Amino acid sequence: MVWESRVSKSQVLHIIRCLMLTSLLGSSALGEEPPSFFRGLNLNGSAVVIDGNAWEGSEATFYHCQDKAIDKQEVPLAPATDADRAKMIRSSRWGGNRVELDDIPAGTYSLFLYVWEDNNAETYSISVNGREVLPQYNSGSTGHWEKLGPWFITPNQGRIEITSRGGAANFSGIEIWRGRYDGIHDPISEEELAFFEKRVRPLLVEKCYECHSAESDQAEGELLVDSRATLRRGGIGGPAVVPGDPEQSLLIKAVRYADDLQMPPDEKLSDDEIADLEQWVRSGAADPRSLMTKHSGKKIDIATAQQFWSLQPIRKPDVPPVADKTWPRTDIDRFVLAKLEQLGLNPGVDADKRALIRRATYDLTGLPPTTEEVSDFLGDESPLAFQRVVERLLSSPRYGERWGRHWLDVIRYADTAGDNSDYPVPQMHRYRDWVIDSLNRDLRFDEFVRDQLAGDLRGGVTEQERMQRIIATGYLANSRRFGSRVDDYPWHLTIEDTIDNLGRAFLGVTLSCARCHDHKFDPITTRDYYGLYGVFSSTRYPWPGIELDKRQRDFVALVPQEELAGLRKQQEERERRQEELDRVVSDLKESLKSTPDAEKDSVKAKIKEAEQLAKEFSSQPPLFETAYAVQDVEHPQDAVVQLKGDPAKPGDIVRRHFPAVLAGEDLPESCQQSGRLELAEWIVADDNPLPVRVIVNRIWQYHFGRGIVPTPNDFGKQGKPPTHPELLDYLASHFRENDWSIKSLHRHIMLSRVYQQSSRRDAQSVASDPANDYLSGFRRQRLDAEAIRDTMLVLGGNLDFSSSGEHPFPVQGDWDFTQHKPFKDVYESNRRSLYLMTQRIQRHPYLAIFDGADPSTSTAIRSNSTTPLQALFLLNDPLVHEQSTRIADRITSASNDLSERVELAYQLCFSRPATTEEIEVAQRFFQDARQLLQNQHASPELFEAETWQAYVRSLLRLNEFVYVD
Amino acid sequence: MNRSNYTSPGRREVLRSLVAGSLLMPGMLSELMAADSASDDPLAPKPPHFAAKAKRVIFVFSNGGVSHMDTFDHKPELFKADGKMTGVGGGLSNQQRVLLKPLWEFRPGGTCGTLVSDLFPNLREMMDEICVIRSLNGNDNEHYNATLGMHTGSFFFSRPSIGSWVSYGLGTENQNLPSFVALAPQMPYAGTQIFNNDFLPAYHQGVRVMGGTEPISNLARRTQVVGLQERELDLVDLLNNRHLAQRSGDSDLAARIRSFETAFHMQASAPDAFDIGQEDDRTLQLYGMERGQVEGFGWMCLVARRLAERGVRFIELVDGSSSHNWDQHGDMAEHADHAKNIDQPLAGLIRDLKDRGMLEDTLVVWTTEFGRTPGVDGEKGRGHHSACFSSWLAGAGVKGGMTFGKTDEIGATVAEQGVHVHDFHATILHLLGIDHTRLTFRYAGRDFRLTDVHGKIVREILS
Repeated sequence: MVWESRVSKSQVLHIIRCLMLTSLLGSSALGEEPPSFFRGLNLNGSAVVIDGNAWEGSEATFYHCQDKAIDKQEVPLAPATDADRAKMIRSSRWGGNRVELDDIPAGTYSLFLYVWEDNNAETYSISVNGREVLPQYNSGSTGHWEKLGPWFITPNQGRIEITSRGGAANFSGIEIWRGRYDGIHDPISEEELAFFEKRVRPLLVEKCYECHSAESDQAEGELLVDSRATLRRGGIGGPAVVPGDPEQSLLIKAVRYADDLQMPPDEKLSDDEIADLEQWVRSGAADPRSLMTKHSGKKIDIATAQQFWSLQPIRKPDVPPVADKTWPRTDIDRFVLAKLEQLGLNPGVDADKRALIRRATYDLTGLPPTTEEVSDFLGDESPLAFQRVVERLLSSPRYGERWGRHWLDVIRYADTAGDNSDYPVPQMHRYRDWVIDSLNRDLRFDEFVRDQLAGDLRGGVTEQERMQRIIATGYLANSRRFGSRVDDYPWHLTIEDTIDNLGRAFLGVTLSCARCHDHKFDPITTRDYYGLYGVFSSTRYPWPGIELDKRQRDFVALVPQEELAGLRKQQEERERRQEELDRVVSDLKESLKSTPDAEKDSVKAKIKEAEQLAKEFSSQPPLFETAYAVQDVEHPQDAVVQLKGDPAKPGDIVRRHFPAVLAGEDLPESCQQSGRLELAEWIVADDNPLPVRVIVNRIWQYHFGRGIVPTPNDFGKQGKPPTHPELLDYLASHFRENDWSIKSLHRHIMLSRVYQQSSRRDAQSVASDPANDYLSGFRRQRLDAEAIRDTMLVLGGNLDFSSSGEHPFPVQGDWDFTQHKPFKDVYESNRRSLYLMTQRIQRHPYLAIFDGADPSTSTAIRSNSTTPLQALFLLNDPLVHEQSTRIADRITSASNDLSERVELAYQLCFSRPATTEEIEVAQRFFQDARQLLQNQHASPELFEAETWQAYVRSLLRLNEFVYVD
Repeated sequence: MNRSNYTSPGRREVLRSLVAGSLLMPGMLSELMAADSASDDPLAPKPPHFAAKAKRVIFVFSNGGVSHMDTFDHKPELFKADGKMTGVGGGLSNQQRVLLKPLWEFRPGGTCGTLVSDLFPNLREMMDEICVIRSLNGNDNEHYNATLGMHTGSFFFSRPSIGSWVSYGLGTENQNLPSFVALAPQMPYAGTQIFNNDFLPAYHQGVRVMGGTEPISNLARRTQVVGLQERELDLVDLLNNRHLAQRSGDSDLAARIRSFETAFHMQASAPDAFDIGQEDDRTLQLYGMERGQVEGFGWMCLVARRLAERGVRFIELVDGSSSHNWDQHGDMAEHADHAKNIDQPLAGLIRDLKDRGMLEDTLVVWTTEFGRTPGVDGEKGRGHHSACFSSWLAGAGVKGGMTFGKTDEIGATVAEQGVHVHDFHATILHLLGIDHTRLTFRYAGRDFRLTDVHGKIVREILS
């Protein structure tokens, strides 16, 4: 890719002035010839003159068309037009809709197509040389006609092919111009031309072009004043010039300085100059600049952009010297201590062993340590004791569940698709389980990235590996679905969701801003966005079902390759049979409309029977297992820019590429695939510093409650800079040197003394660093929603450690979800909370109360709200009461002695013994509660159970229960 | 600061004295609690950007798409044009369909004479208090997306609901009730997203009330023993304060202690807000209600007034569900049942608010996700139509007795003074004293607004 260098304002003005002198009558843009008429073609009729240009008739030799012809000269046209044009329009070609022109010399052309409607409105899409230029065009009512275009094209080996797809289109005529012609037929008199050249053009060039021309660094307000078409179209504020109407012309409003919009910004024009512009607009804004200009997007200077901290290469920094040589145990400690010393702060005291094992166990597994685990650790006096705890926890299967959930937060995991009816995706759990398993086996992070983006293209040494990699692309399949429509399904939104998440999750960059405009803050352009877009528009996403097309398709088979062909054949056979059965139903329904009333009942009975058959057939168990995963489309291709993010406004084709500022490049011409494999490699490439910085920051954040970069999904200009930049790069280097191993980073972090500090800080530290940005102590953290629920279950002895596998969704053949009756369910279970079925558009009632992850967008940080609804949950929710009963039973059946019981309760809930005072408090509580029960004449057998349940309920509400020191 | 008493003061003192006075350092604790209370409380009342006419909003949402030309937008030409082939119509398509005349006559209401159809005879009488906007328009013809757009300003992506934005901007006047209550016996389109806080802090989440005996979940005590919960909470308070005293300066811990106090009081004050047994017969009649009724639209309107009295900032009423609503594709006559269900309660609500002087500072909004097509859909129905539709505002800061905006002769397009959903939102926020361009929240590197980058205040309707 070529990046244009910056040209100074004076240079630009100089060039423009020179050009003005040389081509006074011509175009305004650099070096381009003014557009000129090339050819006109009446597709079903004889030679004709349109707008003063001679058109050829259908006998022309460069024209090929097999379509049917119609001629309906009696239909009145709307809007009315001149006789020759009307005649040309009303005789047209339709049917196949393929018009081929050949013998066109190389060059850039502007193409216009006359279409009209002879009867009922039709909706169709138009493509030129295979590229869609107008999606979902509606032809309007009878007699409506339109001159579509201009579409700027270059012939393909001398050929131009115009085709339509969808409803029946009437093509009447084709008009072709050399160059980029705006298509505005607006003859200009000599007088008008002189006025423009003398009074208007110089003014625009001098005062406006710097910010509003094709040559500007950035087209401010998306307005270009260097051609009549762009001036009349205007920018984001609307038309800048409305010929004949100065009051509606933003250009005039702006130069008058009357309200907020004031241009030129530096200095108001003279009254004479303003009067000239007003007169020009009032008299029709005659403008010879028929060459339509275009801004090619924000110009980014890569070297400058890469000076931003997060884009600088990762350099392993020297470990800084520290004054206190005795405190640090690891290099991490030295980095943190150096900063503390610099700020005049002291590190905190060490955490006691109980706090430490509780912290580490929750941190790595999301569960509290058992009483045995605590006592083992307390009894182990070896200096390696804590290291042993960390190793034990890292090898626990619970580890992958805890840390897998963190990743599922980032990639906005859900078990449903997110369309208006929120179709279930029963296969999605395979991806969730793959994430858990990958973390448990410490899959290298670069492989973790490759598998999720391109696992299907990677194959595998074993069949199992191949299938696991297919499942990993569930990451992409998981992109959100929208709406209820099928034919015009908004794929651009699903792909935006993919690109948005990819940017945040792997790169810490908000790429999706560039969908509609060049990124305002970060060096990402609209071209870059559509460079990535092409990769994903070349990827086939599975169809999870939607209101108007309810069956799953394009899911990926999980069968050994040698069996695939046979099974596919059976599958196709099944689909054929299903279609037949469906057709019987629809045919019967159609026939019902014309059935006499007397026979309606019998037809209705037949419909019912046929529906039953179709449903039974579709409810058969699948022939083979499938994954909610992606594949390449048959013919991968580059995408076109969608102007202002609107798919109905196609712009230029962009070669698939990865932003150059992230050391990316164009997809090699030889690539026959979507480019996902290459994309994965660009992302994890050595010279892309972002993914490694982003992932080590996330890991740090989950350990310490806040990242070194406090905005983990945004390493751009809108994010916050790192508190410890050297430490971040040190960790990044360490991570790469240790084979991108996440577990190795856990070890390194957890064995630091920084991690093992107490969360209680001295007054001076609190005063000078109230938010504890610099870690003069550990950060106290609240348990997340999952950990609170899992702890209540595990203490009650009824936590089910099995994986949920597939959720108990209704049988697929029964799916009839619509936006009126969307899929909505909550499947109760005693499994770990990460296995709760998560809907994309309905929050899970429990997770919603306790700040669970947002299932529709990436959650980088769980918020930590404290609300009365949470307290009400802990006061009155049946779960809390049931679990308290179980925990109370467990405690009371373990001993008959009150002190021992309280002791056990404290061990279970807080991993520590109760103090004498706390036992006394408990005694008073029991006396008091018993008295209360007695006064209300409760039966004494109930006293023990009731009061112990009440006691345990109280403990579950304590801050000490939900906060980890 | 006045600490809560879960048990009677006497008992509490006894309990405290028994565990020795050394446990707490009262001075330090109160300092902590005070520091935490007003300034850090995300729901503490906040001053608006400028003097506000409205202190609170009752936002009524009629689900399914209420036909404008059959209710508040009189189209005489459409009556004449019946059966003629020129109208936009037909469900989700933009095909031309045979025009369908409205089924109900229009008559002037109030002294202002605003024309309202016979679907709303009671509301028609209140037209002097009401400003009808006839030129509302949105971006999407699907229920789900239009409903999401009307609530969040975003037609595709989930974003915070308008109620959450208002709660975030102004806090609330009653700490014992949620700041944003959604009375939604059934779920509308787009599900919980319509009262979701999304990226705003969870304090601003709409609390759903379904009606019935436990209007808010987990509000009813589960212990049978009178006084036991108070004992439990005394114990919690004691141990939590002790825990806090050893962890000086952690305001998160202090805030959580206080949340139990609020929850405890909510158990008593929330049911009181929902207990309409306290209302006299005349009031019940106003809303068309029977004594003992604990559901229905009348109940929702009356509860809305009671919540408004108690300082709840944003009260949403959801009329209908995603499966039973105003979506009459087959037969427009069914609009009658839906209108009958809400006409008297809404008129009663406005009358009641006015009689109590509350209409001065309470804004009542009635809206729907879109209007319906002038052309026929199905046999005798109408399709979805977001190009123009009607809604109305009443109360604080709004000029009553007027209409704003015009549609064309058949109600197919906006003819004059279009009001986009973003403009509607900007105007509601303005009435609450909020500059919609300044009510922002930084999320994922961007300052988000309810009105995105749009929104123009409809100044002509401000009093």
